[in-house]
Amino acid sequence: MRIIGKLNYDFVEKMGGAMRISIALAVISIVSLVYHQGPNWGVEFTGGTEIHIKLGKSLEPDVLKGALAESGFPSESVQRFGLPGDNEHLIQFAPELATFDQIGDFQKKLEDLFAESEDFEGASIQRIDYIGPRVGKELITKALLSILIACVGILAYLVFRFEFGFAVGAVIALIHDTLITVGAISIADKEFTLAIVAALLTVIGYSVNDTIVIFDRIRENMGNFPEKGFRQLVNEGISQTLSRTLLTAITVFIVLLPLFFLGGSVIHDFAFTLMVGVVIGTYSSIFVASAFVVYWRKRKAAG
Amino acid sequence: MKGVSRLWISVIILFSFLSAILLTPTFMGDRLPSWWGKVFSSKGMSLGLDLEGGIFLLLGVETEEGVEQEMLILEEALISKFREGRILVKNSSISDGTLAVGLFPGADMERALQIARDDFEEMAYIDSEGFLIRLSIKPSYVAELEKNSIERVQNIIENRVQDFGLVEPSIQKSGDDRILVQVPGASKKDRQRIVNLIKKTAVLEFKIVKATGLSRENLLASVEAETESQIRGKGFSIHQGDTGSENEKFFLTERLASVTGEYISDARITFDNYGNPAVGFTFRGDGANKFGKLTEDNIGERLAIVLDGVIKSAPTIQDKITYQGTITGTFTTEEAKDLALILRSGSLPVPVRVEQERTVGPSLGQDSIEKGRFSMIVGSILVLVFMVFFYRLQGVIANAALVLNILFIMGFLSAFGVTLTLPGIAGLVLTLGMAVDGNIIIFERIKEELVAGKSAVHSIEMGYARSVWTILDANVTTLLTALILFWLGTGPVKGFAATLSIGIVSTVFSNLIVARVFTNMMYRDKKLTEVSI
Repeated sequence: MRIIGKLNYDFVEKMGGAMRISIALAVISIVSLVYHQGPNWGVEFTGGTEIHIKLGKSLEPDVLKGALAESGFPSESVQRFGLPGDNEHLIQFAPELATFDQIGDFQKKLEDLFAESEDFEGASIQRIDYIGPRVGKELITKALLSILIACVGILAYLVFRFEFGFAVGAVIALIHDTLITVGAISIADKEFTLAIVAALLTVIGYSVNDTIVIFDRIRENMGNFPEKGFRQLVNEGISQTLSRTLLTAITVFIVLLPLFFLGGSVIHDFAFTLMVGVVIGTYSSIFVASAFVVYWRKRKAAG
Repeated sequence: MKGVSRLWISVIILFSFLSAILLTPTFMGDRLPSWWGKVFSSKGMSLGLDLEGGIFLLLGVETEEGVEQEMLILEEALISKFREGRILVKNSSISDGTLAVGLFPGADMERALQIARDDFEEMAYIDSEGFLIRLSIKPSYVAELEKNSIERVQNIIENRVQDFGLVEPSIQKSGDDRILVQVPGASKKDRQRIVNLIKKTAVLEFKIVKATGLSRENLLASVEAETESQIRGKGFSIHQGDTGSENEKFFLTERLASVTGEYISDARITFDNYGNPAVGFTFRGDGANKFGKLTEDNIGERLAIVLDGVIKSAPTIQDKITYQGTITGTFTTEEAKDLALILRSGSLPVPVRVEQERTVGPSLGQDSIEKGRFSMIVGSILVLVFMVFFYRLQGVIANAALVLNILFIMGFLSAFGVTLTLPGIAGLVLTLGMAVDGNIIIFERIKEELVAGKSAVHSIEMGYARSVWTILDANVTTLLTALILFWLGTGPVKGFAATLSIGIVSTVFSNLIVARVFTNMMYRDKKLTEVSI
């Protein structure tokens, strides 16, 4: 079965329009990040204490926050976690309110609260995370460093295997993907944790993988049909690999669906990031990476 | 059709066999037959704390404090050397690893320097200015001190956690100056006890009480001193009291303890005359001698029992005591039990601080495993169905390769002793989806060749041949990001990166070799005219 038969579609022509979409998405991402004052850094990065609780019944985060403040510990934020039916929440305490030695008291007070109030019937503490200030700083550095090294490493490998313009196109595409995925996380108001960084790096890997398959074809066609114009070669390369591009995106997406819906609260945001990333990554291989190569060639030809 | 390579078939069979053996304990669990352990390893894949539940603590070792203590010892030693040499010391101070000892004007500086050099040349740079002698501790000596104290801290914590009696705690060094403590299966109730157990420095000292008072200032005034450092110069120190008495909030004692907890050979929970929990201890021979002398010389005086700088009790010495002693105070049974355990293990040479903690309840872990397993099964079925739907017989081949691929990946994970974490499971599920990418690239190529009118055999040959570099290029970059994650990641993320890295390598093998061998086997004896794709 073929999902896409012989195709004669002018992708290059659509790249101008696509660029506007990309720029719009990037601007929306940046606006959301500025509006939210940067990503919603998880406790791993900010330092402090995070307590993951599961309630017996649904409760608004604000109500929970109020109840906590009333019983004597003001929290920095209370957020829903996982799917709505899970009734799970993340409670964050600022570092200055929660030194390590206070966690034991918090735990005790919380458990007392759970035992006393009807609202908290069946509630339990699932997880306690404490991150000291030093570790938080180290983790931020490591996270940013790992994304940076990944970009540089990929650029180096691509320069080694392809022409320079191709390499730059792929890296622009992955920066594009990272920015828009981070924007989506910010718009969805999800916490930016270490697991999200891992998901972002996976998105980067996927996006480059996708781009390379198309580039590989364009390069092969360049060798086989030197008489054809570059624009036509790019169009053909994209068309010939299009069914693979879509099928792979679909298989990855269908394994992400059960992770998103069934994987449990901890995996939920991770799967969300990957789902956004796979869609953006697939789009960018064609409309950002390949578009840049066309542009780069044109400029080179123009001298 | 080209013949089937015997070499590759053997490799595939060997890998499958090894993976199956490695994975059997993981899947069989307790149902593993008893002879298995004698022939093969019976250890299954180890689960991360996020799956098993338990406590993870990253401890920073305050090595600077070790240096400070060393400076105090150095100060004491130098001053006593000067005293022996009849050189009068006016004052002394310590700051930033430098000890400055001021002598009275007219002192014999030449001789003083010589005394300092004789004993401390190896550990410190020595110079003088006027009637001041300065000893700056050498960086190499500091490094050695720090290394030593980390090792000792690690040993002691290991003893304490193991004594606590939970299964398989792990205590490892992490980086240069950190210690990672993992206690799987510890409940939330155990949390506070384990934390106390680990964090308590547990320096036990026995000192004679000179005076008691309601405030520090009172006590300072009683010996005509203004600051803590002056009082130190006079050979005293002030401790807070936790004896339950309102009138005795602070104690003035001699500065150095003649007997400390390091002489304790055993400690256990006991009860005082009123039936309250207390800790009984026994001294070793040399300690018993010292303690005997201390108590004999000070009958009628009060003996302060100082734990981590706080006075727990200060009974009056009635008689000479040698081997046995009791620490009373306001303990619960649990606290007394834990204190006895800590005293047995010895005191930490330097304090530790908790840099990071993660406590996961067992229900969350169990929940995560079940959900992870379920989403993996659903994901697998979706991919398998999808491949057969799109690629018919070739899809079946891809699926067979995928099943083996998963088997290999989990086998490798077991072989390398990778701990399975929750993101690791997610990585495994993700690998399922990405693994068929190679097959898709090849199959699409085969279709193209067929559409172009090439023969079945030729199309398959070309499909594989032309996809090799595409698949390698695409996977090298993904492997690169996975390895970076492994290198810089911590905890659960490292588990994810490990799964992903191993997954990529195994996937390339299964795409290019396993699927190919299966295809060749299937069409071996037939004259191939049509490909089911």
